Amino acid sequence: MSVGMTAEREELARSVGGFLAERTPMAEVRRLMADPTGHDPAVWRQMGKEFALQGIAVPEEYGGAGYGYAELAVVFEQMGKTLLPSPFFATVALALPALLASGDEAAIREYAPGLAAGESVGTLAWVEDDGAWRGGTATSATNSGATWTIEGHKAYVVDGSAADLILVIAETPEGRSLFAVSGDATGLDRQATPSFDQTRRLARIELHGTPARPVGEAGRGDEILAAALDRAAVLLAAEMVGGAQACLDMSVGYAKQREQFGRLIGSFQAIKHRCAEILVELEGARAAAYYGAWAADASPAELPMVASIAKATASEAFFRAAGENVQMHGGIGVTWEYDAHLYLKRAKTSSILLGDPSFHRQRLADLLEL
Amino acid sequence: MTTLTKAPEAPVELSDSARAFQLEVREWLEANAPAELKGLRLPRYRTSGEVKRLVEGWTERLADAGFMCVAWPKEYGGRGLSGVEVALLNEEFHRAELPRMTRGMGEGMVGPAIIAHGTEEQKAYFLPRIIAGQDRYCQGFSEPNAGSDLASLRTRGVLDGDDIVVNGQKVWTSWFWDATMMFCLCRTDPSAPKHKGISYVLIPIQSDGKPNGIEFRPIKQMSGEGHFAETFITDARAPQFNIIGGLNNGWSTAMTTLANERGGGATTQHTAFQEELSRLVDDARRLGKLNDPRVREQLAWAHSNVEIMRYSGLLMLNALAAGRDPGPGGAASVTKIRWSEYERRLGEIALDILGPEALVTAGDDYQLAPWQQTFLQTRTHTIWGGTAEIQRNIIAERVLGLPKEPGA
Repeated sequence: MSVGMTAEREELARSVGGFLAERTPMAEVRRLMADPTGHDPAVWRQMGKEFALQGIAVPEEYGGAGYGYAELAVVFEQMGKTLLPSPFFATVALALPALLASGDEAAIREYAPGLAAGESVGTLAWVEDDGAWRGGTATSATNSGATWTIEGHKAYVVDGSAADLILVIAETPEGRSLFAVSGDATGLDRQATPSFDQTRRLARIELHGTPARPVGEAGRGDEILAAALDRAAVLLAAEMVGGAQACLDMSVGYAKQREQFGRLIGSFQAIKHRCAEILVELEGARAAAYYGAWAADASPAELPMVASIAKATASEAFFRAAGENVQMHGGIGVTWEYDAHLYLKRAKTSSILLGDPSFHRQRLADLLEL
Repeated sequence: MTTLTKAPEAPVELSDSARAFQLEVREWLEANAPAELKGLRLPRYRTSGEVKRLVEGWTERLADAGFMCVAWPKEYGGRGLSGVEVALLNEEFHRAELPRMTRGMGEGMVGPAIIAHGTEEQKAYFLPRIIAGQDRYCQGFSEPNAGSDLASLRTRGVLDGDDIVVNGQKVWTSWFWDATMMFCLCRTDPSAPKHKGISYVLIPIQSDGKPNGIEFRPIKQMSGEGHFAETFITDARAPQFNIIGGLNNGWSTAMTTLANERGGGATTQHTAFQEELSRLVDDARRLGKLNDPRVREQLAWAHSNVEIMRYSGLLMLNALAAGRDPGPGGAASVTKIRWSEYERRLGEIALDILGPEALVTAGDDYQLAPWQQTFLQTRTHTIWGGTAEIQRNIIAERVLGLPKEPGA
């Protein structure tokens, strides 16, 4: 298992990149932004059936392809380039890692194959109205015999409206635990919350006596959540690396064709130096994301620290690239019709999602026992 | 000392021959390492006294065992090591806590230029002298009016019989205190376009034991130290044999000098930064600053940067080991910007953490405390070897393909 790119992973990047470019050009991204569903179910199924993308890091015995996070990171990077509106992040970076980390054989056998095949959509609901990424929970689960029900709410649930399976963190007498709630469960009220980044859907959900199935042993919720969120942070970092690369490519492309003062603007150091700085930051973020993906596969003890390093670094690199991309385009860069703002919004919201750079550096300081 | 990273064994897929080489170096070091050198931290620039004696002895032992100029081809006295093998060599020295000595700029810059551009006679004469430590080089490139715009240099070289006679002024000459030779750029055709009339000449500092018209005046830097000199060149003579790459063709010879074998430091470069940061964490703890959220965040930021150097090195080494292009992340200018700007910022953070302690030097005669030294020394790192701005131009033009500066 090697760190970073290999010939095989490069081939994967090419084929996924080609598929996304063909099936979801920017016109399609914009159509889906306005669509109530927020994604194209046909593309979702095709990603699962033809490309087996959702199940890349899912073991073969559970219907996946049995590769690792290193391969998955390559896929997320390509997703980030295209801004594809899709429940891919919610299903593959949040729900599947939590499900697999639960070690609950029966639950994994029941849910993983459908998620991996693109037959269903999953998400993880752990944040509440206070917006704390790694905070407490006011939602509780109670049981009567083997039957559990949940009372409470969850906020900022990624693709919470589209999900067929919602994995919910709730308090129990044994401590925080993970539960599976079906998208059509009784007492489940889902409200789509209009999202600032229209390519990534959010929802607030209320649970009132909603039937739920325990996933993993009672009281292991925090441990499962931590394992899932570290993997999600690494994959989001990889997605942001792709976004940053797309922004740099746009900036450089424009600087090579736009003339002012009788010169290509790319010949001015004011433009050149900013492009160079973005590249340096981007390559640092790429190294952290790739190393983090390797650690998720092969060096789990390192993962919590690397995940925070990757999340913080990629957040800053992407936001810098997206902000400078708007600036370097001048007037056209601030229009609705031009795509630069879509990346700016994706960059800022991704930077906040799962904890901003400051949050992750404070966490890293804690992990380093400073 | 605080240990910030307990990194696993580097996950690099190596060939059997690379593994065998690594083992050979490890065994040699185990059998030959002088105990008194183990763990010794060398100053970044000059050594003196007992440390100097130890280091010189160790250098000669390494030279006898064939550890000098290892990246040069075998036919020129090197070992023909690849970037990956040089990286492994560095790792083994690091593991054994021993300094890996080299022949400095002769090994890293002059030798590669001679190998690429010299005649067979020049290779046969100059290369063994570098390997043996007989010729020790300092650099004569920058001039008072030719810094970033190096090709506008004005030092003149005039042919005189079998010789070339050089007159002019150079600046920022490092390693001058130990040098026996200077590799020097001079203008030999003032009527040619600026890149076309330059020659690359190897000038002896002394000739038959007498001065050869090269005078070094150390420049006192803001730290009070003098690691660089101004160099005044008055009728310095060298045989025309010492012109490398041909008369008026010095610019391309010099460019070879600046573009070196990649990968050698890939997996060890970050280790010195790791140790430096651990010392800062210890100082912050001693001063009771680790409860300050701002300090915690700054230290975590620094740790992230050092870790990214480690990750980047692994990615580069893996790519090289597999025969793949390491991509822009492996570009020398990217690496230079990353480490030099990181360490400059660390120097600033360190003084902020010291707080009032930073207001006072360690002794009279402007004797600086280590973090004060770091703070000041690191200001030079974004200037020498191509300023941070020149590195950005290189990335923009050569990696991203943006148009050149008009007139550059």
